[in-house]
Amino acid sequence: MKLTSLVLALGLACLTTKAHADRLVIKGSDTLGAKLVPQLAEQFKAQNPGTTFDIAAEDSTTGIAAITDGTAQIGMSSRRAKPTEVGAATSKGVNMKPTIVAYDGIAVIVNASNPLKGLTKKQVEQIFTGEVSDWSAIGGSGGKISIYTRNTSSGTYSDFKELAMKKRDYAGSSQKMAGNEQIAAEVGKNSNGVGYVGMAYVKAPGLKALPIDGVLPSVQTVQGHSYSYWRPTFYYTNGEPGGLAKQFLDFTTSAAGQKIVAQVGFVPIK
Amino acid sequence: MRAVKQLVSLIVAACLLLPPAAARAQDAGALLDLLVKKKLITDQEAEEVRGELTKDYSQQPAGRLKMSTPITELEIYGDLRMRYEYRAGQTDPDQPVAAPGAGIAGRGDWQERRRERYRLRLGLRGTLADDWFFGLRLETSANPRSTNITFGDDSSAGHFAKTSDGINVGQASLGYKGFRDVTLTVGRMQNPLVTTLMVWDADINPEGVAEQWKHSYNFNIGGGSVTSADGKSTSVAEGWKLKLDVFANFAQFVYDDANPENPLGRRGFTNNRLIPNTDAWMFAWQVGAKLNFPKNYYFQAAPVLYNYSGLGDTFNSFYRGGSPLVTNAASLAQNQTGINSLLVLEVPAEFGFKIGELPVRIFGDFAVNFEGDARAEAALTPGKGDQRYAYQIGAGVGQLKAKHDWQLQAYWMHSEQYALDPSLVDSDLWDSRVNMEGVVVQAGYALSDAVIFNLTWGYGWRSDKSLGTGGTGDIGINPLDKYQVFQADLNVKF
Repeated sequence: MKLTSLVLALGLACLTTKAHADRLVIKGSDTLGAKLVPQLAEQFKAQNPGTTFDIAAEDSTTGIAAITDGTAQIGMSSRRAKPTEVGAATSKGVNMKPTIVAYDGIAVIVNASNPLKGLTKKQVEQIFTGEVSDWSAIGGSGGKISIYTRNTSSGTYSDFKELAMKKRDYAGSSQKMAGNEQIAAEVGKNSNGVGYVGMAYVKAPGLKALPIDGVLPSVQTVQGHSYSYWRPTFYYTNGEPGGLAKQFLDFTTSAAGQKIVAQVGFVPIK
Repeated sequence: MRAVKQLVSLIVAACLLLPPAAARAQDAGALLDLLVKKKLITDQEAEEVRGELTKDYSQQPAGRLKMSTPITELEIYGDLRMRYEYRAGQTDPDQPVAAPGAGIAGRGDWQERRRERYRLRLGLRGTLADDWFFGLRLETSANPRSTNITFGDDSSAGHFAKTSDGINVGQASLGYKGFRDVTLTVGRMQNPLVTTLMVWDADINPEGVAEQWKHSYNFNIGGGSVTSADGKSTSVAEGWKLKLDVFANFAQFVYDDANPENPLGRRGFTNNRLIPNTDAWMFAWQVGAKLNFPKNYYFQAAPVLYNYSGLGDTFNSFYRGGSPLVTNAASLAQNQTGINSLLVLEVPAEFGFKIGELPVRIFGDFAVNFEGDARAEAALTPGKGDQRYAYQIGAGVGQLKAKHDWQLQAYWMHSEQYALDPSLVDSDLWDSRVNMEGVVVQAGYALSDAVIFNLTWGYGWRSDKSLGTGGTGDIGINPLDKYQVFQADLNVKF
């Protein structure tokens, strides 16, 4: 009797493990998780029936923490893991491994009615730090500048601060938004608005991306790194991924996956 | 490609053997970027190497320090000072005396104190997102005018006990710099006013709110370009450059909290007066300017007006300040801290220049209590309202900024019985007292960029022989007819 129970229990455990193996938990960056990864997942599911995804698009900090805590197999991040995050992972025996899955250009966006034709890097720094508060100071038609940024746990928030602001503080008047889509929506409605979004979000209605020092974010300028605000985006895993996570990572970096990357508006890695 | 990656790892590892960790990581990052640009490695390979470097860095002490996201900058600072001090005071030669005995002051009697002391101040200040900032400083000693701990003074819990070696919150403040040229601070803070030891002991960290404004103006008087008659050659004449820093500091300090404001039943009496039910506040209004002339000349003046309101818990009686007409014990027992009738104008000023590379400064301070008459009358010495002035005048040469720097300064300081708030004046010069005058000489030498050796000697006398020396200090004498202090300090700043 006892032997029968043991066999049954083992059988159930195997079934449970199998069910868990077909479910992929992905957490992290809103930049990746709002559009790109769900579309990759749909395509992957079509090729691998029975696979289920649990995708939580919040922010990069959450994605990296999820790998450390073991609550996700893949952590999406639009920024590199910080030393403190890597240290926390290492202390728990987790080997934080980054894989570049796409490039992105952080586009500086303004309302479509804004007459400005472009900005310099210095002007971008001045705008977002609050040194310049009126469009007329940088050749615009006048009006108090409304700045929209991401919230502080966003990878894009810290990436932009590092790439465009020499790590200086954002202007006290800046308004913090939960995601790229919210920034795009606000700038699209506000003729004095300015913000930044990943390239995948520049086609939203009512806004336009401005060239920075004469260069617009595009596949060519981001791959060639001539656009100043380019960045890699990552999947973080605990060491070399295995099983379903590896399959999905391989799919993401495959030609088919990179085609979706381009379709969504990101820049393929090859 | 694997061989290239190994080579890269080797080069980067070599970089890591060089200077501080954070700088090395940045250098390695720049090197990786260059290698990617040169197409020697791919972005992914660079990322893997970068990940390994980050992992190595995270295992070092600096890499384990985690700051919460809103903190944009954090600084740990402080100082540790070892001090030998000799302090002595002499009683009035004509003062009435009690029957002679142990601890009973005689005429012309000296009380002396020698002590070895230390102080530690450990601070943390940081800036936060959106123009906010904060400051925290822990200090040894709970005394508002001293952070010193005396060696061997805590034998009640056994020799070398730690009963007096306390850690207290010396500063805890929060501020905002979001408005141009304006700094707003609330909490227990570094004194925001420009002042001197004559009026404020430097150890006092007042509690309340402060608003500061500062703006600089630059003038270029004369100068310009001169074009020759042929219209071709141009010479530029150097203008007379003048920089003017204008500032204003306003403060509202909670001097003493009344508790409760609304008592049960009716209000009681102390000293035949209703027990106060309002907080005592101290207000300060300061405007100032610093003129920076060419060739390192400057002049600064910063008048400030102080006033008080309310009585708090402890100011329900008038300031007396001691008397030479009663015994020492009776004189000490008089009120020494009352804040009645204090409307004080202080004008600190400083003029600086350089002789060669040697900085020289002439400095001074002047204060007058516009309500001196009323304060004297309340102290039962009507007609002594003229004792309302205080002043300081001195000169210094040198500076203490780097190793082998030295500094010398000397000044004369005079403060009359009804001029100042005795609870604020410096505790070393003159033992927290007013109605004193004398000379102070100080010398300093920087043994290293962070270690400074200082000597201070001060000798003071009672200013008006018919009055006490208001205030409560370490020397149990009032009037303090003569006073001497010597301090040798070894100070480490970090």
